[in-house]
Amino acid sequence: MKLTRRTILAAVSTAALLAQPLMATAQDLPRNIRMVIGSTSTGGDTYQNSAIVADALSEKLGVNIKVDAVGAVAGFKALARDKRGTTIMMFHDFAYLAELYGGKGFVNPFENYIVGATVATNPGNAFLVPKNSPYQTMTDILDAAANGEKVRVAIQPGGVSELGFSAMKNAANVNKPGSGENIVAVNTGSQSDKNQAMWDGLADVINGSIQSNEQFTQLPEDDQKAMRFVWITASPETLNGAPEAGMGKMTRDDMLKYAAPETHVPLNASEDFTFDKEFFFIYNKDMDPAIIDKIDTALSEIYADGAIQDRQTEAFFIPNFRPSAQAREHLIEKRTTYGDVISEISG
Amino acid sequence: MDMFEFLSPLFVLLTIGGTLVGIIFGAIPGMTATMAVAVCLPVTYSLGLENGLALLLGLYVGGISGGLVPAILLGIPGTPSSITTTLDGYPMAKQGHGEKALRIGIIASLVGGLISLVILDLFAPALADFAIRFSYVEKFLIILFALSVMAALSSDLLLGIFSGFLGIFISLIGTYDVTKGGNGEWRLIPPGTEYWLESGFSLLPVLIGLFGLAAILDEAQTGALPGMSQKDIKIGQSERFSLRIFKGQTVNLIRSSCIGTFVGILPGVGGSAASILSYSNAKTFSKNPENFGKGEPAGIMASEAGNNGLTGGALVPLLSLGIPGDSATALLIGAFTLQGVQVGPLFIANNPVTWDAMIIAMLIANLAMFVLMYFAIRYFAMVVTVPKHILFPVILMMCVIGAYTINYGIMFDVWTLLIFGIFGWMMSKLRLEVAPFIIGFILGPSAEVYFVKTLESFGDVSIFFTKSPIAVVLWLLIVGSIGGSIWLHRSASKHRDA
Amino acid sequence: MGDLTRVTINFDTSHLLFPTLIGCVLGLLALAIVIRDRKSVLNAHRHWAQVMRATDKPRFFGTLALTILYFSLMVPVGDIWPNTGMGFLLCSIPFVALTGLLFMHDRSLKHALPMLIVSVVAPLIVWWLFTDLFYLTLP
Repeated sequence: MKLTRRTILAAVSTAALLAQPLMATAQDLPRNIRMVIGSTSTGGDTYQNSAIVADALSEKLGVNIKVDAVGAVAGFKALARDKRGTTIMMFHDFAYLAELYGGKGFVNPFENYIVGATVATNPGNAFLVPKNSPYQTMTDILDAAANGEKVRVAIQPGGVSELGFSAMKNAANVNKPGSGENIVAVNTGSQSDKNQAMWDGLADVINGSIQSNEQFTQLPEDDQKAMRFVWITASPETLNGAPEAGMGKMTRDDMLKYAAPETHVPLNASEDFTFDKEFFFIYNKDMDPAIIDKIDTALSEIYADGAIQDRQTEAFFIPNFRPSAQAREHLIEKRTTYGDVISEISG
Repeated sequence: MDMFEFLSPLFVLLTIGGTLVGIIFGAIPGMTATMAVAVCLPVTYSLGLENGLALLLGLYVGGISGGLVPAILLGIPGTPSSITTTLDGYPMAKQGHGEKALRIGIIASLVGGLISLVILDLFAPALADFAIRFSYVEKFLIILFALSVMAALSSDLLLGIFSGFLGIFISLIGTYDVTKGGNGEWRLIPPGTEYWLESGFSLLPVLIGLFGLAAILDEAQTGALPGMSQKDIKIGQSERFSLRIFKGQTVNLIRSSCIGTFVGILPGVGGSAASILSYSNAKTFSKNPENFGKGEPAGIMASEAGNNGLTGGALVPLLSLGIPGDSATALLIGAFTLQGVQVGPLFIANNPVTWDAMIIAMLIANLAMFVLMYFAIRYFAMVVTVPKHILFPVILMMCVIGAYTINYGIMFDVWTLLIFGIFGWMMSKLRLEVAPFIIGFILGPSAEVYFVKTLESFGDVSIFFTKSPIAVVLWLLIVGSIGGSIWLHRSASKHRDA
Repeated sequence: MGDLTRVTINFDTSHLLFPTLIGCVLGLLALAIVIRDRKSVLNAHRHWAQVMRATDKPRFFGTLALTILYFSLMVPVGDIWPNTGMGFLLCSIPFVALTGLLFMHDRSLKHALPMLIVSVVAPLIVWWLFTDLFYLTLP
C-alpha cells in the first residue's frame, strides 16, 4: 500500500466534491431540484407546462431541475417529506378542487403547503354535444333542464372536469330553482372514455378540451364521431391571450363565441361562471422562504425576457405569471368561489 | 419525390439507433418500451417532428421486441407483454434449445410487426370506426376472454384458477381510480397501511418481483449451485435451425398478429392483453395443446407475433382518434404536442408527410429489429454463461432501477418488488401458479371497470348477452376456450390414471 | 328478461362491488381446495418443515437480509446528497459485492476478483447512464 501525496490529494478532493452539495444550503438554492407534478402522464398538459418552466428556470438559476410525473397523491407525499427545497411541485387547480370534492387523501393545499407563483393557463377546458344534438347553446341545455328534461353529462369525477358540471347544475338552479336535478353526471374516466360515452349514446354532453376535441368538430354531421362545442369555460380575458389563429380550424373569435359573456352560464343573478385552469408552484410548508423568493425573482426575470411566452403560446398555453403572494390571494379567492358553488349544489 | 423528402440518412440512422436502444431497454428485466420512449422524449424537441418520431418509433418497436430475450433465456419477462413468451421459451432454453427459441421469437416478432404495419397503413381510419363500436360490454368480454386463458395455463385447474382470482383480488387493492372511471374511494387496504397502499401495487414491480426476485430467492434456497451453463444451452454449437419449424404455423402467425393489432386498436384494453389473447387462441386451436407451457414453439410464435402486432395497432386510435392505444403511444401524443401538431380524426388527412414518415420509420424499425437481434443472438445467449454469483446480484440491481423509475421515483415500488419476490417464492412452495396469477393481476382492473360500468350504464345483467352480435361471438370464444381447457385437463388426468 | 336481471349501481359505493364479487369466488375456490386437498392442508407444517430442511439457510436468509438492508439504506443515504442518485450508487456496490460473495462457492481471491470488479463497474455504469444520460431520478 503506497500512499503517495497524489493519492491522498485525490481522495481529499473527491471527498470535498461529494460534500459540496451538503454545504450548499440556506442562502443558496439546492443544486439538484426535483419538480414533481400532479399527473402521471408525460404526454399531458401538466408535464408539458412544467417542462417548459423547469427548462427556463434551470437555465436562469444554473441548477438542475428534473420533472417527475409521479401523480397527485405521490407528489404531495414527496413534497411533504422534503423541507430542504430539493423537491418542489407544479400542479393546477385540481390541487384544491380535489379536497373540495372530498377526494380521498387530499388536504387543503393553502393550509398544509405553501402555494407559489402561477405560470400559465390552459384555456382548453370545454363541453361538447354530438353534432346532430338538438341543443345549440348552453341556454338550450339549461332550458331543457328547466322543462324537466334529463341532460346527461359525461365527466371524470372529482376535479376540473366535474367543476364545469357543478357549474351547469348551479346555473340550472339559478335559471329555475330545483332544475339542477335534471343535469345528471355520467361518471367516466379519460378523454377516450368520455368520447366513447357520447358515441354509445350514454351521454348528451361531454367534457373535453379544445386541444383534443377540435378535430372532431370538423367532421361532417353524418359521421358518428362528429361533435360541436357548446361551452368553453375559460374567461374572455384568458382567451384574448390566445393566438389569433386559435387551434386547428377554430380561430380565437370562434372560441370567444363559446365563452362568457356570449355563452351564458350564470354563477348567480349577476355574474357568469368562468374557470381558468391555471398552473402554479406548491412548496413544502417548512421550506426556507428565501428559496421561494429566489424562484419568484428568477421567474419575473424570465417573463421579462419574453422568450418563455413564445414557447408557452406555441404549446397553446396562455402565459400567466403572478408572483407567489399575488398568486396565493388569487387562488384562494377562486377556491372560495368554487367552494360555494359545490356546497350550493350539494345542498 | 416531395413525398419522401423526410427520408434522410439521419432519419434512417435515428430509427436504427432508436431500435437498438429500445432492444436494450426491452432486454433488461424491469425496463420497458414505455420507459425507453419516455426518457428520449425530451430529445425529440430539437430533432423536428419526422426525425423525432423516427427515433421514438424505433424505441417503441425495439422495446417491445427486446423483452423476449430475458423471457426465453432467464425466465424473466423483460416487459409485461412478453409474459407468455416465458411460458414456452424458458422451458425450451432449459431443454437446450435457447438459441432456437430466440430465433423463433425474433422471426415471429418480425412477422407480427410487418402484418400490423400493413393493417395500419391500409385500414387505419376504417378500423378506428369499427373499434368505437366496442362499448363497455364488448370490452369486458374481451378481457374475460383473455382471462379464460388462466384455465388453459393451469397445470392444476383448481389451484390455477384460484391463483388467477387471487391475482385479480390483489390488483383491486387501493383506489378505484377516477381516471379509469372509478369513484376514487379506497378498498381492500388493511388499516394502517393507507399511506403506502392508497395507489395499490404497480404492475411492473409485481412482475419483476414474481419472476425475477422469486427466481433469485429460489436459487439462493437451493444453494446457487453452478447449474445451467454454456453446454446445457447449446449456444455456439449451432444447432441447425431451419424455417421448417414454421411449417403449419402460418395460420397461427397471421391470427396472432391480427389479434395483437386488434387489441392495440381498442383503447384501454392494454398492451399485455395482446400476447395473452394470441397465446390462448393458439392453444385453443392447436392440434397438440397439451404441449403448451412445456416448450412448444407455436406458443412463442403466438406470443411474439401478438405483442409486435400491437405496435401497428396501437397507432391506429392515436392517429385516427387522437387516443393512445397503450402507454407507450400515449407518450407519442406528447411528441406531437411538443411540435404543435394536433392529433385527432383529421391527423392523417392534414399531415400526409408525417403519416408517410411514420409508416416508413415503422418499416425500417421492424427490419432493423430483425437484423440487429438475429445477429446478436450469439451475444445475447452469452448471458447464460455468466456465473450466477455475478448475474443474479446485477439482475437484482437492475430490477431495483426498473421498479424505482417506473413511476418516476417512488420507493414503495421497490418494496413491492421485495414483497412479491417473497410471495412468488412462497407460491411455488404452495403449488400456486404464477402465470394465472399475473394474468389476473394485469387484467383485473380493466375487468372491474368494464364490468361495473356496464351495469352502471345499462342497469341490466342480460346486456352482456344481448348487446350486439360482437358480444355473441365473444361469448362463443370464451365458452370454447374454457370448455377446451376443462376437456384437456380431464383427458390429461385420465391419461395419468391409465 | 324481466325484473330479475335489473340492477342499480350506486356510484358512491361502486368501488366495493367487484372486490366483493371476486372475494366470494375466491372464498368458494379456497373452500373447494381445502376439501379436495384436506390431507396436504393438514400436513402443511410438515411440508414447510421439509422445505426448510432442504433450504440452504445461510444463502437464502442472507440474500433476504442483504436485500432488506439494501432497500432500507438507499433512501437515507441518498438524502445526504439529494437528487443525485448517490443513494443507489453507494448502496449498490456493497450489495452486489456481498451478494456475489454469498452466492459463490469457491471464495478464493482469483475467483472473486472478476465479481468484485463487476460489483464496482456495473453500478457505476448504470448510475451514470440513468442519472446523466437518461435524466431519471434514482434514490
